[in-house]
Amino acid sequence: MTEYTANPLLWVLLVAFVATAVLVHRQRKTARALRQEIQSLTSHYTELENDYGKSVRAAQEQAEDETKTVLKSAMRTLQGLAAEQQLVLSRLQSKYGDSALLQDLLEIDHTNSQFGRRAQSIAVLCDGWLGGRRDTASVYDVVRSAQGRIRHFRRVEILSQVDFGITSRAVEPVALALAELFDNATSYSSPDTVVEINIRTVPKGICVVVDDAGVGMSDEERARADKLLASERASGVAGLGNPPQFGFAVIGLLCERFGFEVSVDSSSPYGGVRAVVLLPHDLLTAMPEKQAPAPAPLAAARTAPEGGPEAALVPARTDDGLPRRRRKRPMAIVPGSAPAPRSAARSDSEQAQVMGAFQRGTQSGRTGRPEEAERTSSNPGASSEGHGVS
Amino acid sequence: MTGHDGWLPESAELVRPYVITRGRGLPDDEQLSLITLVTASADHAQRPTRLSPEEQNMLELCSAGYLSVAEIAGHARLPLGVVRILLASLKEGGYLVTRPPVARARLADKEILEEVLNGLRAKFG
Repeated sequence: MTEYTANPLLWVLLVAFVATAVLVHRQRKTARALRQEIQSLTSHYTELENDYGKSVRAAQEQAEDETKTVLKSAMRTLQGLAAEQQLVLSRLQSKYGDSALLQDLLEIDHTNSQFGRRAQSIAVLCDGWLGGRRDTASVYDVVRSAQGRIRHFRRVEILSQVDFGITSRAVEPVALALAELFDNATSYSSPDTVVEINIRTVPKGICVVVDDAGVGMSDEERARADKLLASERASGVAGLGNPPQFGFAVIGLLCERFGFEVSVDSSSPYGGVRAVVLLPHDLLTAMPEKQAPAPAPLAAARTAPEGGPEAALVPARTDDGLPRRRRKRPMAIVPGSAPAPRSAARSDSEQAQVMGAFQRGTQSGRTGRPEEAERTSSNPGASSEGHGVS
Repeated sequence: MTGHDGWLPESAELVRPYVITRGRGLPDDEQLSLITLVTASADHAQRPTRLSPEEQNMLELCSAGYLSVAEIAGHARLPLGVVRILLASLKEGGYLVTRPPVARARLADKEILEEVLNGLRAKFG
């Protein structure tokens, strides 16, 4: 044993052991301190991170709100201008309706409608103004209105019609949503294909089915579309990409706000996308009247008896605001082809039909019997009746 | 759809004329002038439903007999050119028959009128 105690090696080992133990102990202490420090640092960091995230989000929201407000009022101005221009164009079109200028006016009108639609889409994304008030319109007219708002409207073909109208409140939103769908359909299919529209009555309301013969959507695009249409509504114009893809974001928002449904999850028989817009019953009404009913006094005046001095009784203008033709002298009406007795409220189109029938009668008389023809055509009142334009 | 009070006082037609014409161009002046007479062709019984409401309306207007293009335009409440485009396409589809307007009475010879005038002046003037 003494041998061992005398052995310096043992002492060296002992000292080394003690030193190691002390070292380890110290190391542990430092490690513990470090760990604590790290922990506090981590918690501090998380706290900072949260705060940072919050303030960034707040800043982002504020910036987005500001962008929205600015865009909203800017778009309102643009929409107003587009609508104003549309009115001017309508006026010009009826003023220069018979000149070659009309062709160019129609083209400008088309461009203006597209421009108005773009502004409208951005406005929808910014919770803005949707446009002027509309009267109740037939589903067919709303679809055609949407058709007019896209560039390649000639490629859109409406294959069926239904006898339903859309309530005035829903006319613009439905037209805008359809226009975005048509735009997608025509942009993602080749220029020589047709986009087919079918309008169908279903138990839940009315379906507008849009089929294109394009390349269809990839899974990624489909997922994005589904997300925007069903679950996650877009807000603001951020995150639309470059070039921005407004379509589904706008449609999703309109669906939520006005209560119709759009789905793009089936594929069209032509290989492209089939989009289905479901308009529920609360957005639908009966087919709107084509023309406003004639005011009562006019209808009363028109019950004037046959053959009397009509010129004095019949008002000078028709319901359309056109000068009413007056018989200058009594006419001989061919027996048998005489029109049905005058009803109390004969519409202007009926009036026109009657005039046309008369014209056809005198015409057949003139061509059929030459000797009679001379007599008939010598009556200036009759021959000028059917086509008299003054 | 915000708190903005006013709608626009009036808004233009929902369906624009270029959609009604389906973007077709104007027909020749010769083909359909203001006073060309138009009527529905005899076999319009099997009229397809694919026609737009405006086209059906025009066919109905002139189904009873000849009407001038100008008259149809007046009743259809559309710009004249648009009516002409629609009528031209209806004619192409065989729904309509057109007929040139009735020729105007030939005017008296100007020289004769002058001679008469001169004679009258010589006698009474």
